[in-house]
Amino acid sequence: MRLAPDPEVEKFRADFSAFLDAHLPAPEEATVRSKSSADIPDWARRWQRKLFDAGWLLPAQPPEYGGRNATLPQVVAHLEELSRRRIYHSFNPQGLNIIAASLLTFGTEEQKREWAVPLLRAEITASLGMSEPGAGSDLAGLRTRAVLEGDHFIVNGQKVWTSGAHDADVLLTFVRTDPEAPKHKGISVLLIPTESEGLVRRPFGSIAAPDDFDFNEVFFTDVHVPKENLVGPLNEGWRVANGSLGHERTLLWVHYAERMDALIQDAACDEEWHATLQMDVQALRLLGYRLLGPDRNPVEISVLKLLGSEAAQSAELHALEQHGAEALLHPVQTGPYTHMNLETFNASWFERYARSFGGTIAGGTSEIQRNIIAERILGLPR
Amino acid sequence: MEFEFDDEQRLLQRVVRETVTKSRALPEKQLWDTYLELGWLDAPPLELAIVLEELGYAADPTPFLATATWFAPLAGRLPRGSGTGVFDGEGKFVLDADRADEIALLTSEGVVVRDGKELAAERLSVFDPTLHVARVDVPDLVAGVPDLALMGLAVSMVGSCRRILDLVVAHVKQRHQFGVPIGSFQAVKHKAADMYVAIERAKVLAYFSALTIAEDDPRRGRAARMAKAAAGDCQRVCFQNGFQLFGAMGYTWENELQIHLKRAKAGDLLLGTASEHRKALLV
Repeated sequence: MRLAPDPEVEKFRADFSAFLDAHLPAPEEATVRSKSSADIPDWARRWQRKLFDAGWLLPAQPPEYGGRNATLPQVVAHLEELSRRRIYHSFNPQGLNIIAASLLTFGTEEQKREWAVPLLRAEITASLGMSEPGAGSDLAGLRTRAVLEGDHFIVNGQKVWTSGAHDADVLLTFVRTDPEAPKHKGISVLLIPTESEGLVRRPFGSIAAPDDFDFNEVFFTDVHVPKENLVGPLNEGWRVANGSLGHERTLLWVHYAERMDALIQDAACDEEWHATLQMDVQALRLLGYRLLGPDRNPVEISVLKLLGSEAAQSAELHALEQHGAEALLHPVQTGPYTHMNLETFNASWFERYARSFGGTIAGGTSEIQRNIIAERILGLPR
Repeated sequence: MEFEFDDEQRLLQRVVRETVTKSRALPEKQLWDTYLELGWLDAPPLELAIVLEELGYAADPTPFLATATWFAPLAGRLPRGSGTGVFDGEGKFVLDADRADEIALLTSEGVVVRDGKELAAERLSVFDPTLHVARVDVPDLVAGVPDLALMGLAVSMVGSCRRILDLVVAHVKQRHQFGVPIGSFQAVKHKAADMYVAIERAKVLAYFSALTIAEDDPRRGRAARMAKAAAGDCQRVCFQNGFQLFGAMGYTWENELQIHLKRAKAGDLLLGTASEHRKALLV
């Protein structure tokens, strides 16, 4: 244990910081705002492309995939530098952190070239088709069916909550390919272009507004998908699912810490909850750093997700209540405008609190995280 | 920064765990001699934290905590025998003052070390009969709690809470109702998971405090308060959920749980509760 920063990590951070100083788009270039998690405005596409070309997009990757073979502590420094400046990493976060990252892990060379690189360069965007009306927490119960006929899969079924699907070019879709096998063993993953015949997307509003479109229902009726769009081996989709969410979750704590830091500033006060928030973010960081060490149990990610999402939510509730009836006003800005980030992070107090439920519901609910901790860390019986 | 134990610290942790488990039945005097022999009283802050966490886990009956974290930071040395310190400005609830060989007093004239027997501090009757707290009646006391004392109590409480969770986990695994272990019920699992998260949160903040003291970092004052406040939050969850999950068994004298519940709660009440430290963090 030591407080002093690792010189190699600090050099890395300073290099990235200098890059940002030199190349960050000016506010007047960035007036067009992103409308969904798969909608990247042109200026942001150019910016993501610039990060890719300079090896600052996904630093852990090799240069051909927008990185510079960085170490894990360097990757953390990269995210911390972005969050310190309130810069959104990508306006298609799932396309970058889940879909492209999964293709780089599980995809063929051709899939990396055809899909991963264009995603990384923000030439196309992607959404993740996992949840279904009957498969949420019990994701492995998914029923969207894909049958291989000749050189195509024929896909039938429905996805829901598919964030950004109406703006995406392709969906990384989890489908059942062997209905006879135990539920975890009959799942496969397909890249399905959204322009495919028989694929219908219906965006629906969030709690924030009827036209705040990110959620989608996606219907598949005899959709033909070329068999080379299979990602990873047939019927091994569960492994890809774990890998995909693993990518997303390993460093998710940095994003919770970012929201909590913003809240510390935006709702500065001398109430006790504010001290709790300062303690929570400090503990979250320390747990995150500790998780970078060797021989840590990856299941501990659940501790960080649970602590981060619930601490942020509790603090947003305190901030809301502290503002009393004023907190009803909407839309208003509750934090500094930052052209490189989403407006939702400094939206009205009511909206901020409502959006904090994204943290405790998406990506494995708090209840599921508690089950994981109890069963896989404490060893309680299933 | 790096926030994991190095090999030597890991080894120390293992040795402390083994020693504490092995010598559980030893009389107090022999325990004390073992600690001295192993050099634990001289340990620097991080290593001391490792020792204290395990002694907290074992509900150590000796005056180790008071000697290492109440006397030493005040006097700037170890006592002859055992020791404690008075730094609350009042001398009201001083850990082990009734049995310390030397007592360091924080007075308006600076630190004064007095012979324990001479001061004849009066032991107070408290809910936990294994806990020694006493009143030290001397004039001119001033307040100034050492960071090490806050950290020491905090990390000991983390140990107590870990013990509570271990006892509870063992209980809910073997206790059957409705034909299944009660640990298979989600209502039970979620309470246990909340205890685990509270412990991890308190643990990292306690070790961060130890680290800032070890490196004399300017953040040490705030870090010590955060550690003590988080340990206070942690014992609240662990006392509440631990007692509840143990069922009526936890309500009796005839089980181990009660000892650790009392230690954890006493830790919060001594040297300022979680709420007091949180308020102090805001000024």
